[in-house]
Amino acid sequence: MLDELWRESGAAAYGLEREQFREILERVAAAQNFGLTPGARASRQQQASFFRGLRLADLVLARACASGHPGAWEHFLAVYRQPLTRAAMAITGSETLGRDLADQLYAELYGLTTRDGVRRSPLDSYRGRGSLIGWLRTTLAQRHVDHHRRTRRELPLDDPADGYEPQAAVPEPDNPPAELLLLGKAIEEAFRQLDAEERFLLAAYYLDERTLLEIAPLLRVHEATISRKLHRVTGGLRKQIVRNLQALGLSKPAAQEALGADPRDLNLNLKKILQISSLDAFQEKAAT
Amino acid sequence: MNSTPQLDLHPDAESLSAFAEQALATQEREQVLTHLAGCSRCRQVIFLAQQAAADAQAPAPVPATRPAKQPETWFWNWRLAWVPAAALASALALVVTFHPRHTATAPEMAKVTPQSEGTIPARVPQERASAGAAHRPAPALTAKSLAGNADSAARNMPSEELAAPSAAPPAEFGASAPSTVQNHAVLPSSMFSSQQGETAQYRPEPAVTSWQQDQKQSSGSALSASVDASQVSQKSMRMEAYTAHASRKAASAGPRMVQQSQSAPGGSFDVATQQQLAGLSASRNANPPLPSGLAAVSRATAQNLALEIDRSGALFLSGDSGQHWEPVVQQWTGRAIEVRAKSVLSGSPTTAVIFELQNDAGSIWVSADGKTWTAQ
Repeated sequence: MLDELWRESGAAAYGLEREQFREILERVAAAQNFGLTPGARASRQQQASFFRGLRLADLVLARACASGHPGAWEHFLAVYRQPLTRAAMAITGSETLGRDLADQLYAELYGLTTRDGVRRSPLDSYRGRGSLIGWLRTTLAQRHVDHHRRTRRELPLDDPADGYEPQAAVPEPDNPPAELLLLGKAIEEAFRQLDAEERFLLAAYYLDERTLLEIAPLLRVHEATISRKLHRVTGGLRKQIVRNLQALGLSKPAAQEALGADPRDLNLNLKKILQISSLDAFQEKAAT
Repeated sequence: MNSTPQLDLHPDAESLSAFAEQALATQEREQVLTHLAGCSRCRQVIFLAQQAAADAQAPAPVPATRPAKQPETWFWNWRLAWVPAAALASALALVVTFHPRHTATAPEMAKVTPQSEGTIPARVPQERASAGAAHRPAPALTAKSLAGNADSAARNMPSEELAAPSAAPPAEFGASAPSTVQNHAVLPSSMFSSQQGETAQYRPEPAVTSWQQDQKQSSGSALSASVDASQVSQKSMRMEAYTAHASRKAASAGPRMVQQSQSAPGGSFDVATQQQLAGLSASRNANPPLPSGLAAVSRATAQNLALEIDRSGALFLSGDSGQHWEPVVQQWTGRAIEVRAKSVLSGSPTTAVIFELQNDAGSIWVSADGKTWTAQ
């Protein structure tokens, strides 16, 4: 099987011997435990399935580039230079910023940064799970988002540009109505009971204001399916909140009336609730 | 994935990329999705990467280096110019196609430039006085004009063929086959075949050549617009169609004109020299055809003189009762449609005979000898 994978990957074109190729595969498998949860033991069939699922050609190219193989770099530039530049321009929305971002990533990929006298290339971290161009696009997006967030934090306080305005401290009412307190608790509990995909849908659609067309490809479903899911989630959430209010002691008419409260009167941070919910869900899954 | 329960640790680029490409196992995918639900940063990253992927699938944007594409741009600009050029060519083709149909009716109307009455009688005797020699330039002129008209149509032909008609002697117009090769392609075949037997002894008079010129000009003008040799044959077909049309019109107009001749007021009396319709056809069968090869539509005889008008309106005179014909120079306006002989009373005991010619406008010209005509 190793010989077959070695031939399929085209590693010989970049001077990678069979043993070097085997070491690469072993490191990749160890880093991801064959795609299984940490501590699980993979069978031979799972191992074979994991190896066959890897993008071996991209993996070999990335490792050859990281090691400084000239032929690999020629191939990399011929295949990925233009798509990478286009992706950077699409991400930044600017040709100038896009070219800067792409050039900066090129410098990093080429290994201009050294650590302990050894060239370090981000290509070393590529493990062949997805496509190399997808990895490059995501890396560019990460660089751009991190840079944007970092520079946003560094904005002077007297220049509320880019839509950033320091939030004035909202004085909390001394004695909020009991119904509102119950409603807040019922909402938090209802969000906590949502699964990961439902929370992702709510966050992407309502918080990030993404369109159905943007969300659908990530979940590999049609946008109409996303619309139906959202409708179902919001409807189920409303029912769950009513049930939670009833569980907290309100009658059904009182619970229905409580849902008509002005959201601005609620001291709720949905973003924070979703984060907490994600953390809780992850902990639950990790515990199992 | 490097994610941990703390949201400060984000999935690495490969996990996010593999999540978008559906390359993760179910469990790992669930972990990433859980993280994405609570991490706006990673959602932003993954949506931006997806947007870039969608943009890569879209058509490539116009590059900033436009000068490198200049030749292609020039070509595309000129390609747009082909549209009006094609429309212009189509319009030209339509004009070439339909123009001959309009001009084909012109010879039917015997378009002859009206000549001043004072000059015609003075010039005709001079031409007649010089016998046939004075008439020779006319065929030469005809042949030359024909060659000129057919020049554009025969651009693709060898130059020797073009030079032949103008270089040929005028006397050979009818007899010389090589000099009329182009004319044969234009003239109606029936007309050409009838000329072949006559042209050895026939020299066209200006009256005939003017009609022929009209015919040739109408065809030549159309031919000059086209350089395709195939159009010549099409033109010939059109001329044949025109001839058939003219014969039909003449056939319908013939009896009427003969009837007019019979009932025409003779001033004093009819000299009974008008040819009856049956007699006309009988003599026509006996006599040789007119030099034009067209059928006669009107005939008048007096003594040994005979005058006949063919379908085209050309007048022919015979001094031997129709054995030999010669065309009469046109001295009247319009198209001659009828000729008749009239006897007039004079002081002498003998009765003088004059010929009357009527054109399509109803005007009358008179002649004593059939050659010299004056307006009445």
